[in-house]
Amino acid sequence: MSTTATTVKIEVNGRQVDAVPGEMLLKTLKRIGIHVPTLCYYEGLTPTGACRICVVEVEGQRNLIPSCAFPVFEGMKVHTHSDRAVVARRMIVELLLADHPDDCLYCERNGRCQLQTLAEDFGIRRRRFEGQKDDNPRDYSGESIVRDPEKCIKCGKCVRVCEEVQGVACIDFINRGSKTTIGTAFDEGINVSSCVNCGQCVTACPTGALVGKSHVKRVMDALRTPNLHVVVQHAPSVSISIGDEFGLPIGQDSIGIMHAAMRQIGFDRVFDTSFSADLTIMEEGTELVNRVKNGGVLPMFTSCSPGWIKYVETFYPQNIPNLSTCKSPQAMLGAVIKTFYAEKTGIDPRKIFSVSVMPCTAKKFEASRPEMGRDGYMDVDAVLTTRELAQMIRRFDLDMASLSPEHADTPFGTRSSAGKIFGATGGVMEAAIRSAYFLLTGQELKDLKVEAVRGLDGVKEAHLDINGLKVGVAVVNGLGNARNLLDKINSGEKTDLHFIEVMTCPGGCVGGGGQPYGTTRESVQKRIQALYAIDVNEQLRTSHSNPDITKIYAEFFGEPNSHKAHELLHTFYHERETLT
Amino acid sequence: MAYHILLVEDDPDYRLKVKQSLQNAGFVVTETEGEQAAYEAARRKTFDIAIVDLMMENTDSGFTLCYHFKQDYPKMPIVLLSSSTSEMDIEFSMESTWERNWIKADTLLNKPIRFEQLLYAVQRLLGCLAAAH
Repeated sequence: MSTTATTVKIEVNGRQVDAVPGEMLLKTLKRIGIHVPTLCYYEGLTPTGACRICVVEVEGQRNLIPSCAFPVFEGMKVHTHSDRAVVARRMIVELLLADHPDDCLYCERNGRCQLQTLAEDFGIRRRRFEGQKDDNPRDYSGESIVRDPEKCIKCGKCVRVCEEVQGVACIDFINRGSKTTIGTAFDEGINVSSCVNCGQCVTACPTGALVGKSHVKRVMDALRTPNLHVVVQHAPSVSISIGDEFGLPIGQDSIGIMHAAMRQIGFDRVFDTSFSADLTIMEEGTELVNRVKNGGVLPMFTSCSPGWIKYVETFYPQNIPNLSTCKSPQAMLGAVIKTFYAEKTGIDPRKIFSVSVMPCTAKKFEASRPEMGRDGYMDVDAVLTTRELAQMIRRFDLDMASLSPEHADTPFGTRSSAGKIFGATGGVMEAAIRSAYFLLTGQELKDLKVEAVRGLDGVKEAHLDINGLKVGVAVVNGLGNARNLLDKINSGEKTDLHFIEVMTCPGGCVGGGGQPYGTTRESVQKRIQALYAIDVNEQLRTSHSNPDITKIYAEFFGEPNSHKAHELLHTFYHERETLT
Repeated sequence: MAYHILLVEDDPDYRLKVKQSLQNAGFVVTETEGEQAAYEAARRKTFDIAIVDLMMENTDSGFTLCYHFKQDYPKMPIVLLSSSTSEMDIEFSMESTWERNWIKADTLLNKPIRFEQLLYAVQRLLGCLAAAH
């Protein structure tokens, strides 16, 4: 009988270590607390060993080996910080800097650039090599993402995250040799590409080669403009991630001080998008019940995540009828602000400048969609990411530690915690199940925690029995996982699902492309835990119980899916022709 | 009655593509290949809106054309199309009041653009937005 070894013994810097057979050396080193710098390494993706910054010395090997792409073996003797390895790493950084622009002061990643940090760590104080500078132009055409190929170090993380995590493959290596760069199909510009604007490439990029398109200037200009009523809404996950930018513990809810900071900055009203998440549940839940009862197109897909919407429009146009017609919570609140709120306060909607703070770069694209406005004005005029809000808070020199917490403004200040958990993968589904149960049975669900849809698994499924009605639901995060499920649905392999939540980004909005740089799987997990902790301690835990929701239907919309609700809270989609 | 658009663009391929797309959307299009030809065309006929490329005979042709058009035909909206970032690494926007004061266009779009962006800008400025549903 043969046995397979469960561990192999290796020696690291003279210390005996147990390692898992077949795992990459870098992973072993991380586990035992030895830090080796990386640039092209991305946890969970295929290692490429492209940048060589993680090289270590292994006895018996002629060359230094990249620890991210080299599996451990029995008896391996490793020297992670030998002179040879450290000198080689320093040389690699110097060579990367040879053709790198000198505009660190003007770069968005200044102070948060991994290349800059490495140069600092290695004490590089002058340019030893002068490489030929590329003259690849910046790509400023997209609504959400700006590309600057001159700052690209060709680590390929953006390419891998786009293809392996998101299944989009919008960007890839183009040209050859020293002319190699990263670009879209035919290098035509990101605006006309298949990019879904998710921004996962932005968070993966170690330098300033990929950054979000900033709307800070727009917002600052609006705040300075007299007689303009500037309002802001913030998405559920922003309050538990903004603290990362100010050194607060990961996952700490800073909602009160964030409201205070927003008022200090000069916003006239501060609204919570979790309110319109509740509104989304009312509309989407009613739409689902109608589809089930009237033989509508099933399974129905959620439509909160704009990257997912563009993905379906681009790659799966045949599934457009499956998408819920509901706008996202951002767009719903945007529409409500410029209609209901404008009417109630007597302010001309053209004199309202509506800002949203989102964990997401794709929301910038969504806000610019022609469908998201009326009478020549847009419902949301500017979209700030969590990072951009932090930048504004710093610009106003606000001390987050000394601000006193404040509440959001009425009439959109009340939210249920069902709306708040929208920020986590599975949150929309859990909120929907709580309200769907009530809509179908007239009774509240006994245990509001729906464990089956929680967690970071790429695809989660649950089969529910609500008063004899059997409902199959699935929760997906990451578009690559969505593609796998869609293929099964379209081939007829999967037929038992009625409602599917899809979030573009891994972990949902807490892992969005607009979240603070340095977001990891661990920080995503902590943010999710923080959202569920808010939920468990909340009195108001279902969207349909939110008194402000009841009020807005009584005063304005009539009932869910009414004509007026359709006009303002629902939208339509169209097939997109792109160079893929 | 169909709206009449003056399209000023020096790249013949791009001009043809935009012209055909606008015609398919129901607009009447007069095309010209540069700043000087655009002045001539505007003298001969009244247009409802102009779509103007930024870099033509000169790198700032679009800016000067917008300036003169706003003086001579103040009611005619202008959409300015720019590829200055990709060609000269200079980025223009109309996000601030200061920029909107000196760039005499009503809307600025950075190339490459999706036709839906141009169509929306034109319809919005003409006040003829298609119904949302």
